[in-house]
Amino acid sequence: MKFSPFFTTNTSVSVVMLKVMLALVPGIIAYVWAFGYGIVVSLILASATALLAEAAVLQLRKRPVMPFLLDGSALVTAWLLALALPPLAPWWLVVVGTLFAIIIAKHLYGGLGQNPFNPAMIGYAVLLISFPAIMTQWPAPLELTSAKLSFVDQWHYIFNRALPTGIGLDAMSSATPLDYLKTQLMLHHPIETIAQAKFFGTFAGKGADIVAGAYLLGGLYLLHQRVISWHIPTAFLVTLALISGVFHLVNPAQFASPLFHLFGGATMLCAFFIATDPVSGATTPNGKLIFAAGIALLTWLIRTYGGYPDGVAFAVLLMNIFVPLIDANTQPRVFGHSK
Amino acid sequence: MSEPQNIWKHAISTAGVMIAFSVLGTIVLAYVFLTTKAPIAEAEREAKLKLLEQVLPASLHDNDLLKDTLPIAAGGELNNREATLAYRARLQGKPSAVILETIAPDGYSGDIKLLIAVKADGEIAGVRVLAHRETPGLGDYIDIAHGDWIKKNFDGQSLAKTVDDQWKVKKDGGSFDYMAGATITPRAVVKATHKALQYYAAHQQEIFASSELGAN
Amino acid sequence: MNQYREITENGLWKQNSGLVQLLGLCPTLAMTVSLVNGFSLGLMTALVMAASNASVSPIRRLVPTEIRIPVYILIVAALVTLIDLLMHAYFHSLHAVLGIFIPLIVTNCIVLARVEAFAAKNPVVPSALDGFMMGFGLALVLAVLGGVREIIGKGTLLSGIDLALGASAKAWVITVLPDYHGFLLAILPPGAFIGLALLIASKNWLESRKQAAQPMTPSPAAAH
Repeated sequence: MKFSPFFTTNTSVSVVMLKVMLALVPGIIAYVWAFGYGIVVSLILASATALLAEAAVLQLRKRPVMPFLLDGSALVTAWLLALALPPLAPWWLVVVGTLFAIIIAKHLYGGLGQNPFNPAMIGYAVLLISFPAIMTQWPAPLELTSAKLSFVDQWHYIFNRALPTGIGLDAMSSATPLDYLKTQLMLHHPIETIAQAKFFGTFAGKGADIVAGAYLLGGLYLLHQRVISWHIPTAFLVTLALISGVFHLVNPAQFASPLFHLFGGATMLCAFFIATDPVSGATTPNGKLIFAAGIALLTWLIRTYGGYPDGVAFAVLLMNIFVPLIDANTQPRVFGHSK
Repeated sequence: MSEPQNIWKHAISTAGVMIAFSVLGTIVLAYVFLTTKAPIAEAEREAKLKLLEQVLPASLHDNDLLKDTLPIAAGGELNNREATLAYRARLQGKPSAVILETIAPDGYSGDIKLLIAVKADGEIAGVRVLAHRETPGLGDYIDIAHGDWIKKNFDGQSLAKTVDDQWKVKKDGGSFDYMAGATITPRAVVKATHKALQYYAAHQQEIFASSELGAN
Repeated sequence: MNQYREITENGLWKQNSGLVQLLGLCPTLAMTVSLVNGFSLGLMTALVMAASNASVSPIRRLVPTEIRIPVYILIVAALVTLIDLLMHAYFHSLHAVLGIFIPLIVTNCIVLARVEAFAAKNPVVPSALDGFMMGFGLALVLAVLGGVREIIGKGTLLSGIDLALGASAKAWVITVLPDYHGFLLAILPPGAFIGLALLIASKNWLESRKQAAQPMTPSPAAAH
């Protein structure tokens, strides 16, 4: 392949992206084990949409198509978005979200390296505020449901919204643990009672906590490979654990435990894969700490007091806005210059 | 211009212009205000009546609903957060229905204000949501502008038709529809409507007889 | 005659307040959830602007410079209140929908901007025309933005027309996309920002294409 000089400049990007995707594989395997093959369909749909959209926009912008397409950044965006969506989301939801992420959030702002907001999270936020009913409807973990859908059944559901005869929507879907926690707290039930619900696992949602563990594993691989630095994941997880821990100690009936926050929702995915996006996140070491701590604080606030069950996407986008400010005020002092 | 006298002159004439325009503006506005006062009152009246008509068909009353009202104090059995009104409908002098304003306090994001019309025989003529802050696209189907859930589930309902422990959404074992993902909102509306019906059953006589309802 | 043409062109396209001057964004973003809402508020603004320009122009030599701003504000505020009262009385349901945004026309900087920049220096007839055209240009932008948001968000067009023209107009509502679930984003505030950005981009694109088509001929307006 002769794409020089572009190819050489993009090699580093594509190696990084490849490693990120590799690190996501354990999470995806756990996901399939916990919720079935539907997620694979979502991943393929999102990837295909992302590549087509990326190619089309590059063509329109008169940029070289192949090198940018092969750098893998569009694929990573697509994967992160697909993993954040409910696994049996209808096909058009995945397509609309991915198109928004690639065309509007990434390319209208100037393409790779220029986008101020995390494209996958923009796609997620757009879908969440536009289709809240679908976005908060998750399938029950396979372990718990009698209505086990085969791969073909899940395929049918994704493309036609048709369930096999004899299986009702109620049998296969459930609220997410975060959502359930919120609605039950509103009815003034204490957390001990709420956590008795059958879809609560060891730490957080049954099945979902295993997936979170697998993301953690992938994240450690990224740290080991020095694809990401320790600052963002550590600051994010520690801050989230601290703030939820303090409130949990004060009133355990009203505030969920730190473990629930760490292994519930999109926490782990955010810590290692979303907040660590090098383009839309802070770049200085101290800046990264502030940036990640801010996301953790906002995530906890939105989960506890906000109108939507999980707050990761909004937290990341809000902190993206502050990145220029954080970076400008945390520049490391150049040796020999006083501040 | 530097002479003190000229400065004074200039200041006074400037003030004069300002005052002249203020007076002129005030006169014009006062005139328009006075001439539109009656039409505005009439338009507001019509709008209010149109709203009441949504829950209570015009054929059910021949009195002036807006004049035959009864204040309901805050708190009490309806447990409204603020004082509301009951509109009494009469047909040839006989009580035919009552429209209660109530507030469901337990929506997903705060109060849901409701208008509930109950016919004299205890059957619901209609329920409408006056104001709410439920999540767009999720809980807002209780609003007639976003779906006919409220019509389908409440028109013709009564305590006789649905026993007390069936006044719940289907998810909680009752007989009212809900949409997956948004159960809190319909739960709040069903509860408030049920309470209004019970209130009406208990106070039917008083509502039509008395001139004021206390928080008893 | 030429002057009137230029005023019209400036108001509707070249100096369009919604797309070029980016003045009056508050109503542009907030009220454009449907074509009817957007256009009616735009039309109100155009009326206020025409009336305020027409009333400021004849008194422009009477008002001392020091107090011209308060006097202009007074005139604009009086006119807006007048329109607010009249609408409340005779278009009650539309008034209820547009609500606070009618009195807020006072604070719309495009109104004062045209009074100060044009009416304070020009005779009555051109001033009135300028006010109206500037407002009408804004109204067209609000209508297009409202229409696009309405189609994408709800799949209809002209919904709410009965509020402006009475219940008989309800039949005019067009269902563009039947069985459409609705794309809520377009109706919510972010949809307004994205929609406006795309409109501005399209205008710039049209302009740049026009320029590319005739690269060397300097336009007569360029000296302006």
